[in-house]
Amino acid sequence: MKNIIQAELKKIFFLRFSRVYLLLTIGISLLAGFIFSITTNVTQGRAITDLSVMEIVSANMLGIDLASILLITFTALSISREFTAETIYTSLAAVPDRKKFFIGKYVTFFLLSIAVSILIVALIYLSSQIILMMNNMAAASLADADIRQFVLGVVLMPVFYCLLTVAATIFFKNSGGGIAFSIIVMVMPALINMFSDTVQKVLLPVMPQSAIHSLSGSAAEGSFEALGTFTSIGLLLLWLVVTSIISTLTFQKRDF
Amino acid sequence: MIEMRNLTKTFKDKISVNQLSLVIQPGVVTGFLGPNGAGKSTTMKMILGLMNPSEGSVTIDGQSYKALKQPISKIGALINGNAVNPKLTAKQHLEIIAAASGISEKQTETMLMETGLEKVKDKPIGTFSLGMKQRLGIATALLGDPETVILDEPFNGLDVDGIHWLRELTRKLAQDGKAVLVSSHLMSEMQMIADRMIILAQGKLIADMTIDELSQNSLGSFIKVRCEDNKELQLLLTAKGAEVKQGKNEELHVYQLDMEQIGLAAKTGQLALFELTKIQPSLEELFVELTEGKIDYVSTDNLLAKGRESR
Repeated sequence: MKNIIQAELKKIFFLRFSRVYLLLTIGISLLAGFIFSITTNVTQGRAITDLSVMEIVSANMLGIDLASILLITFTALSISREFTAETIYTSLAAVPDRKKFFIGKYVTFFLLSIAVSILIVALIYLSSQIILMMNNMAAASLADADIRQFVLGVVLMPVFYCLLTVAATIFFKNSGGGIAFSIIVMVMPALINMFSDTVQKVLLPVMPQSAIHSLSGSAAEGSFEALGTFTSIGLLLLWLVVTSIISTLTFQKRDF
Repeated sequence: MIEMRNLTKTFKDKISVNQLSLVIQPGVVTGFLGPNGAGKSTTMKMILGLMNPSEGSVTIDGQSYKALKQPISKIGALINGNAVNPKLTAKQHLEIIAAASGISEKQTETMLMETGLEKVKDKPIGTFSLGMKQRLGIATALLGDPETVILDEPFNGLDVDGIHWLRELTRKLAQDGKAVLVSSHLMSEMQMIADRMIILAQGKLIADMTIDELSQNSLGSFIKVRCEDNKELQLLLTAKGAEVKQGKNEELHVYQLDMEQIGLAAKTGQLALFELTKIQPSLEELFVELTEGKIDYVSTDNLLAKGRESR
């Protein structure tokens, strides 16, 4: 497995495109978060000094949503190259056990996404401190349980959607399918919110966004999104396990 | 040793490989011939586990390719020279395969040297010609020093030097005791490198023998005879069961008798022989003879020509 992960990391980092794209993902997410937090008088109709520390950190962390979308695209493009350039022939000749090959890719993108996510969240957290300092406000402290839960919770978002994209791209054999699937899952709650409470009550609790919002503490208490910690972790794992099983089974049966 | 037993691959509306049973022997260059759509690439992909057989099995030393612990040290394959990421360099491409298989990076340098790609190892593969990509594909195939080498159309795009190099390489690999399976549509090349020929048509095994055996069994093989009295000799040979046709320039074409039998017949009739030559069909002629009526994709011009011939 170590060999497969090493090879997968080489496939990613040998390419200039990947290195530049990942750097841009970090930079753009950071910039977007910064812009969101200093434009609250336009977006929320409230001056930054009227916001609480948590609200400023929260606005800044919106950059992680953009990071998730950029990471979804990166994952789909990287994996689909195996199929479009037909390098899958040489990849599977070296690692013919397709389950192993799938797990190798999955672990690689898990490691990559968690590293990128932690880095972005840490940088956004730092930039929040700078914004707070510039406005003579108290620093956001990780000793505050709410801030700690929020920061740890948002780290999960890019990782979850990246892994979902790995399974979807291998299933669809193209980047379009991988990107579309993950984005649809991501925006589905916004669509569900347009329906009646009855529909929302059934569908919202099974959407991954509810679990992520619950884990980060941003789901309003008593809302349809609010789930317990174990239910949230279980729900995210269920999404990942089910999509991985479907993808692996299809991948194993496929002819190249 | 690769063993195929009743290997079959069926697609929606077509049987691509039909009940194929074969053994690929070590120490021999085996040529894999067949018209387009005969099932050559499908068979090779099934050996490598890239395609799942509909029926039957293919094993490598008794195991499926997927079950092998170090697969690329058992089989090294070139399936498609273009199946590379054009943004990577040749060195990076080999390093990825080496990493996945736990092979040292030093081996990648050796393969780059052996395939003549050392000078361009740091250039993007996208700038390579097809011939250079084929060399890289062969380097990839040989990376794990495999016991069996499978090369699908390896001569495509190679220049004269490349063709000479590949001829020598396949011979050397066989001499080293490796099993070499080469598919190609270049009959002349196959005639030069292959010890044994496997011919497929419409997914079925048409022939599995040496080129000599193919020639002997060929309807196109005959003995050209010139004699002081062709009519007299024709009578004697026909009486011995030969089929005799009149050739150009006062010569006879004798089928179904060997040279000794013709010589003895001439001696019986006290006839002087001026020429006795065995005419062997080329591999291309043998191939055409064996695959007659079993080709899926024929151009309209060829169909019309065949129609005229039959009339």
